[in-house]
Amino acid sequence: MRQNRSLEGGTLFFMTVSSMLLALTVVLFSTLLEAIDDLMDKALVPDHIQMHCVDNGFGEEGEAAWEAEKAAVAHFAGSRREIREWQICSFLNLDNNSVTLGGSSLTDSTQDNGLCVQGSRFDYLLDLESRLPEVLPGEVYVPVCYRSRYDLSVGDLMVLEGAGDGEGVELVIGGFLRDAQMNSMMASSKRFLVHGDDYERIRQGSRADSGRGKTHVYAQEEYLIEFLLWDGADAGVFAAAYAEAGLPANGPAVTKPLIRLMAALSDGTMILVVFLVSIVVLLISLLCIRFMLLLQLERDRKEVGLLKALGVGRVQIRRLYLTRYLLLAFCGAFAGLLAAFLLKIPLEKQIQELYGAAFDGFRTVVLAFAAVWAAEGILLMSVRRDLKRMDTLTALEALFSTREGQTGAGQYRLIGFVAAACAFLALVPQNLYTTMSAPAFVTYMGIGQAQIRMDIRQTGGAAGTAGQIAAALERDTRVEKYAVLHTVSCVATLEDGGQINLAVETGDHDIFPVCFGAGRAPIRAREIALSAMNAEELGLTAGDSLRLTGGGKETVYTVCGIYADITNGGKTAKAYRVEGDAPVVWSVVYASLADASAMDMWMAEYRQFGADVIDLAAYVQDTYGQTLEQLHLASAVAAGVAVSVIAVVVLLFVRLIVEENRHLISLHKALGFTGADMKQVYFVRGMLPVAAGVLAGLLLGSLCGESLCGAVLRSFGADSFRFVFDPVQTFLKLPAALLLPAATAVWAGIAGIRRISAHECCNAL
Amino acid sequence: MGIILKVENLEKDAILHQISFKMRKGEMLAVMGPSGSGKSTLLYNTAGLDQPTGGKVWLRDTEVTALSEDEKAKLRLHRMGFVFQQMNMMPRLTILDNILLPAVRANKEKGGVRRTKAELTAAALGLMQKLSISGLEERSITQVSGGQLQRACICRSMMNAPEILFADEPTGALNRSAAKEVMQELVRVNREGTAVLLVTHDSGVASQCDRILYLLDGRICGELEMEREAAGQTADLTKKRREEKVNGWLSGMGW
Repeated sequence: MRQNRSLEGGTLFFMTVSSMLLALTVVLFSTLLEAIDDLMDKALVPDHIQMHCVDNGFGEEGEAAWEAEKAAVAHFAGSRREIREWQICSFLNLDNNSVTLGGSSLTDSTQDNGLCVQGSRFDYLLDLESRLPEVLPGEVYVPVCYRSRYDLSVGDLMVLEGAGDGEGVELVIGGFLRDAQMNSMMASSKRFLVHGDDYERIRQGSRADSGRGKTHVYAQEEYLIEFLLWDGADAGVFAAAYAEAGLPANGPAVTKPLIRLMAALSDGTMILVVFLVSIVVLLISLLCIRFMLLLQLERDRKEVGLLKALGVGRVQIRRLYLTRYLLLAFCGAFAGLLAAFLLKIPLEKQIQELYGAAFDGFRTVVLAFAAVWAAEGILLMSVRRDLKRMDTLTALEALFSTREGQTGAGQYRLIGFVAAACAFLALVPQNLYTTMSAPAFVTYMGIGQAQIRMDIRQTGGAAGTAGQIAAALERDTRVEKYAVLHTVSCVATLEDGGQINLAVETGDHDIFPVCFGAGRAPIRAREIALSAMNAEELGLTAGDSLRLTGGGKETVYTVCGIYADITNGGKTAKAYRVEGDAPVVWSVVYASLADASAMDMWMAEYRQFGADVIDLAAYVQDTYGQTLEQLHLASAVAAGVAVSVIAVVVLLFVRLIVEENRHLISLHKALGFTGADMKQVYFVRGMLPVAAGVLAGLLLGSLCGESLCGAVLRSFGADSFRFVFDPVQTFLKLPAALLLPAATAVWAGIAGIRRISAHECCNAL
Repeated sequence: MGIILKVENLEKDAILHQISFKMRKGEMLAVMGPSGSGKSTLLYNTAGLDQPTGGKVWLRDTEVTALSEDEKAKLRLHRMGFVFQQMNMMPRLTILDNILLPAVRANKEKGGVRRTKAELTAAALGLMQKLSISGLEERSITQVSGGQLQRACICRSMMNAPEILFADEPTGALNRSAAKEVMQELVRVNREGTAVLLVTHDSGVASQCDRILYLLDGRICGELEMEREAAGQTADLTKKRREEKVNGWLSGMGW
């Protein structure tokens, strides 16, 4: 059998890239899941967490009420057999304005940063060696996600201005911690671990400050009511029982699967993109290897005929080919494995940082081997199937049939198809990234597209503060538009009589509308819009009715719309107003300024009201920054793979086309055509399918890519998704990034025309 | 009569050795010799299809062997024509498009005389009519006989009105009657003023030429000058006498 370096090189390339990408997907996915599970197991993450804030601050009355609520929780816990352990953890919510971390202020942070002590029974915060850190007085352990963000190292200071006795508190960073519950930036709170004495000192100082009525206080103590259930217990049933028991629940409830999902999503998006890329590349490889094999068989036709004439059996001839392909598969698998492990290092950096290197080396290697051989196996099976075509060829046919050799059209079609697939591959992750990083993306997330968001957290003062802010906004000429939304705690009654807690955001939702997948925003009384997750859980669609009790009054509402939301665990509702006197648990104010350049000063001014004032662009960056970074990296990998594949395929097949058309090129030269004439002809022939393919790929990516990414983004809670196009990127940069290497590859592929002499045609045939 | 082609001490690897000869304007020269004697190699190297390892070739006052590949291509396009044993037509083009191919390329030359497509087509159809293959214009190359295809090949070679036509075994792949027709056309082309250098195994074909060179082991071993048929003699009688003369000479050469 004739050796052809181009065909063998091409086959090896596709075997390597396919196995590399599949191995990379498996290794990264396994590493991520194992790391998350390992951390969650070691940290003993609760199955159900109810966040709660004591309504009446620190007054004696409030404390007494809280004691009574704690007793009710204890009673409830005693009555439920599925509870293995339970505990109430305190979380002292810090005012970001007065916190400095290693010299950097947390003013711009959109996270709820707070202090806590180590859980007594479970929900442990672990150090980077996955041990329970021993925090000394005066020390603080900082969430690991802040390490690179604020360039922190052990020994740096965390300063809490005005804390303690009012002089401020300085804590030394003793280490970094991994918080299985709140590691992901998509979790909106971050816990700092301090010694119990420091916690108490800062808490007591806050109480004193609260009493004196100072502005910057650490008065916001929240509670995490946590339950660890026995294996096999139904967390859904438990959540319903908790809600029905009327226990403290004025904050969002989070479950273990949701924590796992949030952690997985933040890094899983990148892996999902790598997986999609690997599937597309595997399909391209199947096609290209099959085509190259058929070409090889066509070239070897006479040799095969001779072998058959000499009495060599079908199986033996097939084995000759299979041995060669097996050898190539071995080389491809080895190279792919090596490349996967090299490429994995930068890609899993974040996973290791957030969740630790918990993966089992042996298991990862075994999985990588399995993935590599799955890819090679699929390719070899396709080769084996195509080799059977030789069986039907008789020795006579093989020896004396005329050379068909007109594979040109097929090769051009293949170039076009691969160019389309590569354009699709490069465009879709890029568009996903552009869409997710666009300012309007927040509307898919249940957040209005404003410039500024102000959070006024819980407690009895929320409505009052919101009122003051609203009045100030009304007078403020710098404000273009604003909306004040109050969230009230209600109970929804299901058709089967069951009840669930529902946080309903009330106000005018038309000023900064969110994206509605169905229906519209509530614009009149007794209308309610539900988040997609809530609608699914309640089994309601637009037009259905919902019985809602707020402030003791039950009213029937009509579901007027379903919207996408990821805030507060994705389970929210919006109404114009809620009947009855339901207590406001928190308020949100959205505002946009006429002149955005003065935003920083404006925000500082409004922070005086005691609200968390955040720049929404920064909020998105804080929440999805990690995911976007990963997605950016993944889209760069996808684009890199697309560019390499298109370059290799075009180079390979243009060389083959030139090789196949050697006789015709020679004839043209004999008739007086110059080498440059022929190069021009084959350059145009090579580039036409590339250009057509890239155009088709871009169109396909723009049309189908949207629904494909919609499926991904629905898992983020983003419904009815539309691509945000960057026209320069889509129609200029991306085509240029694909067409330039393709043109270079065509140019390199046709270089061989120079070596074809005019007299070859006289000897051929 | 002027010299159109001059070959001086031509060498090609171990195939051709010190070959020298001249061709007169309008002459029809045949190169004969046993298989492996280097006939075709001589043709390719003389026509600039291949680069000799030594010696020089002139087409009138142009030194072919000193030209670059692109210059040689232009020379072949404008001043030379080729007829191959296997015809070598483009498989995806019709007969007419095949014939038009060199003319279309020549039409794109900068500074050259531009002819309209209609003019080119008219010229091609005129040639086809002259070579008795009218009506085959739209046929594909698989839909015509070998003789018709070779005549189409002659049409193609004549499209740019070359000074010299190189023919490598032009009747080698044809049956007797087709071979006869093709030779008639080549002789006609030659009589109209185009010099023809052809390589052949067929003494009947060679006998219609003005001169024959006999090649053995890459060297010219003999040369036979043939007088042109005189007016008033019947063609068949002349042809028979010429063939006898050639066969007798070939016997003397050890053929």
